[in-house]
Amino acid sequence: MSDERRITSEDLTLFAMQLLSKEETAEVTAYLARSEAARRELAEIQGELAIYAHTVDMHSPPALVRERLMKQVAREKKTVPIDRPAPVETRAPETTARVGTIFGQSLADPSEVADKGYGSERGLGRGAYLTEDDTPKRGVMGKVLPWVGWAVAAGLAVTTGALYHERDALRGLVSTQASRLDHLTADAAAARQVLDAMTDSSAMRVTLTTKGQAATALPQGRATYVASKGTLIFLASNLETLPPSKTYELWLIPAAPGETPIPAGTFRPDERGNASVIMPPLPKGVEAKAFGVTVEDEGGAMTPTLPIVLVGE
Amino acid sequence: MYRETGLVNTKPPSGQDDAALLVLVQRGDEYAMASLYDRYSKVVYSVALRVLRDPASAEDILQEVFMQIWRNPDGFVAARGSLGGWLAVVARNRSIDALRRKRPTDNVDDMALASNYNLANEAERNSLIEKARVVLHLLPVEQRKTLEMAFFDGLTHSEIAEMTGDPLGTVKTRIRSALTSLRKAFTA
Repeated sequence: MSDERRITSEDLTLFAMQLLSKEETAEVTAYLARSEAARRELAEIQGELAIYAHTVDMHSPPALVRERLMKQVAREKKTVPIDRPAPVETRAPETTARVGTIFGQSLADPSEVADKGYGSERGLGRGAYLTEDDTPKRGVMGKVLPWVGWAVAAGLAVTTGALYHERDALRGLVSTQASRLDHLTADAAAARQVLDAMTDSSAMRVTLTTKGQAATALPQGRATYVASKGTLIFLASNLETLPPSKTYELWLIPAAPGETPIPAGTFRPDERGNASVIMPPLPKGVEAKAFGVTVEDEGGAMTPTLPIVLVGE
Repeated sequence: MYRETGLVNTKPPSGQDDAALLVLVQRGDEYAMASLYDRYSKVVYSVALRVLRDPASAEDILQEVFMQIWRNPDGFVAARGSLGGWLAVVARNRSIDALRRKRPTDNVDDMALASNYNLANEAERNSLIEKARVVLHLLPVEQRKTLEMAFFDGLTHSEIAEMTGDPLGTVKTRIRSALTSLRKAFTA
C-alpha cells in the first residue's frame, strides 16, 4: 500500500480486524490520517470483512432477547427535537442536495418522507430548508428556546444519572434479597423435614435403655421449651387410647406464683400410643415450673381437669 | 409483538430501506428500531455466537450493538456503507473485545465500509452469503483456516504463526489473499 511508511494492505487488514499492537495501530492510524488512498483501501477491506462475517452459520436469537431489547428501547425513549418550520417560500429547489446520506443512500426528501407515511405531522422535514444566505430571524422566544432545550437536556441527563444509580442500587438489593430468600427457603425446607419426621405417624420410634434392661412401656412425655421464644415441642409415647369424646391436653404451669396453668394444645395418640405437640401458640417469656397432661373433653378446656396423667418439672 | 413491547409509534411499512428506518430511529420511532432488529439481529447474533461460542454472551453483544444504534443513530449517518455490513463487523469486533475482556475499541464514527450490496434485501443478502461461501470453499485450506483464526477467533498474526509454525509474513499474506479472493469474486 504505502512504500514510504511500509504500511501494506496486509497491515490495513490486520488493522481492520484490530489485531495489531498499540504501536502498530498508532502507526497505521497516523498513516490513514494522511492518505486518502489508504482510507479507501481500508473501507474496501471493511467491506470484504462484512461479506466474510455473513458467511457464518446463521442462528436466530431467542425471542426473549427481542423483547428485552424493545423494553430497554422503550425505557430509553428519545426526546424528539423541537421543529422550527421556516416559511415555505424560502425553500430553494436545490435544497434537496443538502439532504444527508445514510450509507450512500440519499435521505428522503421531506415531502417524499411524508408521502411514505411517516410524514410531516411528526416533524420530520416539516417546513423547508433555509438557504445559506438566509439569516434566521429570531424573536425573544427564538433566543430563549434553544437554552430551554439545553436546560431540559441537562435536567434529563441528571435524572438519567440518578435513575441509573438507583437502578444499580435496586439491582443489588434484589440480588441480596434473592440470595437471602434462597437461604430461607433452604432453611424452611430443612425445618419442614424435621417437623415431618417428628410428627409422622409411620416414623419408627425407639426408646433406648441400658443394654439388658427392658424398655418400660409406661406412658411418658418429653417437653422441650424455650421460654424467651415461647417455643414448645412435646413428644409422648405409650399413651392409652381415649374414647372419641376425650382428648389429651398439655399444660404449661408457670413458675410465677398465683398464675394459672396455660393450655398448650390438645392431642390424641396414634394407634401405637405416640403423640406430639409442636410449637403451640404460647406467650413469650413465660418461665415454666412444670408441664402436665390431663384428659379433657373433645375440644379441650381452659382449666385442667384432674387427675393429671403425666407431669414433669 | 409490537403491542407486547409497549411501542407507541405507528408500525412502519415493510420493506423500507435502512436509511429511512434510521431516520425514523433518529426521531425515536421504536417500530423502526424493531424493524432494524428483525432485519439484522440474526447476523449480529450469529457472528457473536461464532466468536464467543456462548449464547448468553452473544445475546449481550446483540443487545449492546442494537442499543448503540438506538442511542446514537447519527453515528451511522454519512455514507459509511451498508448498515448490515457495518453491524456484522461491529458484532465481530465487540465480541473479540469481550473475548479479550477489554473495553470496546472500534470508533463507530470512524469506520467507513465500502459496499455495493443491499443487505437490507433478504434475497440479495442470501445470494451474497451463498456466493461468499462458495468462494471460501474454493480457497486453499490454509488461507481459509488462517482467515478464520484471525477474524472469528481474534488471534493475532503472531499467535497464528506460533500455532501453525508458519512464518509471520506467510500468515499476513494468507489473510490478505483470502480477502482479496472474496473481493475479486464480487467485483468480477
